[in-house]
Amino acid sequence: MTVDAAALRVAAQAARTRVAGRRGRRSRLSSVGLHAALVLAALIAVFPVFWVLVTSFKPDSRAVEATPKLVDHSSLDNYADVLSGAKGDFLAWFGNSVLIALLTTVIAVFLSATTGYAVSRFRFPGLRPLMLSFLVMQMFPFAVLIVPLYNILIAIGLQGTSIGLVLVYCTTAVPFCTYMLKGYFDTIPSDIDEAGRMDGLSPFGVFWRLVLPLSTPGLAVTAFYSFLTAWGEVAFASAFLSASDQSKTLAVGLQVFVQQNRTEWGHLAAASILVAIPAVLVFYLVQRFLVTGLASGSVKG
Amino acid sequence: MAEVAYVNASRIFSGNPPVRAVDQLQLDVADGEFLVLVGPSGSGKSTALRMLAGLEDVDEGAIEIGGKDVTNVPPKGRDIAMVFQSYALYPHMTVAENMGFALKLRGVAKAQIKEQVAEAAKMLDLTKYLDRKPKALSGGQRQRVAMGRAIVREPSVFLMDEPLSNLDAKLRVETRANIAALQQRLGTTTIYVTHDQVEAMTMGHRVAVLKDGLLQQCDTPRALYDHPANAFVAGFIGSPAMNLKTVPLTAEGAKLDGIVVPLSRAALDKASGESLGEVTFGIRPEALALVSSEEQGMNMTVELVEELGADALVHGAVKIGEGTERFVVRVDGRTPPTLGQQVKVAVRDTTEIHLFHPESGDRLEA
Amino acid sequence: MRRFLDRHWYAYAMVLPVVVVIAVLVLYPLAQGVYFTFTNINEANIANPVLDRAASYVGVGFRNYLKVLSGDSSYGAFWSTLLRTLVWTFGCVFCHYTVGLGLAMLLNRQVRGRALYRVLLIVPWAVPAFISAFAWKYMFNAQFGIVNQVLRAVGLPGPVWLGQSDLALLAVVIVNVWLGVPFMMVALLGGLQSIPADLYEAAEMDGATPWQRFRHVTLPGLRSVSSTVVLLGIIWTFNMFPVIYLVTGQNPNTRILVTYAFERFFAGASRDYAIACTYGVLILSVLLVFATVYRRALRKQGEVW
Repeated sequence: MTVDAAALRVAAQAARTRVAGRRGRRSRLSSVGLHAALVLAALIAVFPVFWVLVTSFKPDSRAVEATPKLVDHSSLDNYADVLSGAKGDFLAWFGNSVLIALLTTVIAVFLSATTGYAVSRFRFPGLRPLMLSFLVMQMFPFAVLIVPLYNILIAIGLQGTSIGLVLVYCTTAVPFCTYMLKGYFDTIPSDIDEAGRMDGLSPFGVFWRLVLPLSTPGLAVTAFYSFLTAWGEVAFASAFLSASDQSKTLAVGLQVFVQQNRTEWGHLAAASILVAIPAVLVFYLVQRFLVTGLASGSVKG
Repeated sequence: MAEVAYVNASRIFSGNPPVRAVDQLQLDVADGEFLVLVGPSGSGKSTALRMLAGLEDVDEGAIEIGGKDVTNVPPKGRDIAMVFQSYALYPHMTVAENMGFALKLRGVAKAQIKEQVAEAAKMLDLTKYLDRKPKALSGGQRQRVAMGRAIVREPSVFLMDEPLSNLDAKLRVETRANIAALQQRLGTTTIYVTHDQVEAMTMGHRVAVLKDGLLQQCDTPRALYDHPANAFVAGFIGSPAMNLKTVPLTAEGAKLDGIVVPLSRAALDKASGESLGEVTFGIRPEALALVSSEEQGMNMTVELVEELGADALVHGAVKIGEGTERFVVRVDGRTPPTLGQQVKVAVRDTTEIHLFHPESGDRLEA
Repeated sequence: MRRFLDRHWYAYAMVLPVVVVIAVLVLYPLAQGVYFTFTNINEANIANPVLDRAASYVGVGFRNYLKVLSGDSSYGAFWSTLLRTLVWTFGCVFCHYTVGLGLAMLLNRQVRGRALYRVLLIVPWAVPAFISAFAWKYMFNAQFGIVNQVLRAVGLPGPVWLGQSDLALLAVVIVNVWLGVPFMMVALLGGLQSIPADLYEAAEMDGATPWQRFRHVTLPGLRSVSSTVVLLGIIWTFNMFPVIYLVTGQNPNTRILVTYAFERFFAGASRDYAIACTYGVLILSVLLVFATVYRRALRKQGEVW
């Protein structure tokens, strides 16, 4: 005799109903209060972005009205101007940014996954110093080291290339990502690894074929974090990419744009929205993994 | 199919002082044998199994499978399969994929994998569930998938690490029988770890008892029960546990509550040879009996009666030397004594008395 | 040795890429940066391959440290800037933590539309920082900003937010709180979800009030998450330069250690790399001291971290 899965599901259903029934006792008043608090918080969270969106449709002159309105001669003109390249080679910047952010994501996820797995599973001499150095690395404002970094990139022949910049971004993203993924890997029972070893996998095989596929939430958060690190960074990007307009990233280009067009709020808003879209898109893709992925990471720290 | 041997194998965990989790284990397992490693937690039984699996280093000695030294061979080169306590099913694979994974890694053709998986699934009554993920299975089904994953590969040795401890009592008894039958049918050498001596006794051809990393005794269940090599094995094997008491020794036998239980000549000679004033006296609850008040026996005050249905266990206090000791007697279930009652207890058969050295715990007869 | 490699080579193979990248792109520049703090290196005397000019900076011993630590205002008034940095850091992290915890607890309840609320509340994290900075700068504008618009609508004066006053510091704190809450919220939400429900049920059986359950079940259950995210939050906020730099520019009222390092580095005719690096080293020292104390305190409370 075995317990049928269907029977189990019925039992689980019953348990859920019971819980729901209990929760249902929350009074109407506290329910309203709960929603009110959440709605207010959500409004505050979203409003600045929404306001930029609203502004992005207004002509520059209307964007600085003393009594702003939601719609004020709104049109898509700002977007047309920005995309057509009238305000800088926007599309080229966009392409550079996508390339650099994606490369950073892939490399940072790969590096932090292998490292995170090693520190999660193996007790090797040097483990503690490595973990501590990850923590200490976050304490130094690395942008003041642009000069030595520049020299090194020249020495290894990566100065002015995307890959050099990507590697620099990885050094900022990897420490936190490693911590996070270590925490996530810790939640995967090591029995799974051992079962894999028994089935004939090498330690690398276990990592690649069992642990990685089981770590989607952790990897998603890592990807999100490294993408954002690279997507919005200005200081390194302006120092390490060649000065030509063609090779700028969005963040750098926009920075230049801001300095040259301090009063063109409408155009700035439109450009900002365009820059934010890919980041928000990536966020939307990973958001359902965010809580589980980050949680186990920081729980274990 | 292969025989397995531990050749003075040790596993030493670093620490201060280092812990010898498995100490100089010397054990030969015959081809096709079902050997159970049993012991309390921390006895090193799981470590011993993992050394055989290649998941744990062997710090001293060697491990042989099929006559070949595999001490430094990684798990995948040992041709063994293992069932884990947690089952360790791959959550992202279906039942069929779980079972066929090892074959896939070895590059077996797809059609053949499918065939072998189907065959194993039939044997384990899993055919209906092949497309499910482990999450959608009950505990018993998961356990069977874990078994299936092991047998699909047709390895030369099965290793099982407490595979039944996550099942409920009823299912455990049932699965126990199924595993034993399956092993019989396949005839594959099996090493099975458990802390449950009932499992050990019912399943194993031979049972190896471990304590603190040391092998205490390895023998058939019957022999372990009838001739435990030391007081630890005597107390560990059998449920309820054997009554083990340190009692004063006289020229004729052991002194218990005024009566003298006669002991064999050989045992007495050995005891006097070591000039022992006391011995550890062991008798199983079923070798004791309640007798009428006129007959000779120990006076016991009943403190607890456990009714098991067919029989009952009577716990009571008996005066030994200066203090009192607790004894357990197995009696007929229909007429147990009542709480607080004074009863007389006698030894049914003096051949069922076990004597052990009071300090070393070793058995005191040939 | 062979045995050592046999046992650990997988681990080393897996960390090797990171170690190489870190050694080349972190340790070496860091060492060079520390070396710079003992020189007078700046834009004018650094080696310049374009102009084919050799380096001409010289060692100055501890003079950079002395200049900075004297608190001289032409070197960033170190002590008062440090004080402002501490106010900024603890103010931000305190708000991050309390608001994040509050929202996490709301989201941890069975509430209709929870997934939507969660997405909306995480939005500030997903938007690139320089865009958020732009948005807030626009909203805080004294003439056409929506913030003052709202204040005037309810009859309050609309101050100059981003001018030369402590209001600017308040403004950047608000922006940074807005930016940082989602991370805390998500981490704490995960922590809340990992507290077993039967602990709450046990506490309820023992007659604990909601406050007592929060105090004796929720907070202890969050301890390990909290200690990690608070430490990270403090380190990150201490070194948070884009928000301040982008919202208020070089405003002495919002100057913290790291923004001053950047001012020295990027601004002015003679980019003063030596002083910038000196500030970097001092920031690192302050944070190291803090992390050590923090860790001691945690360990005293029985938390091994």
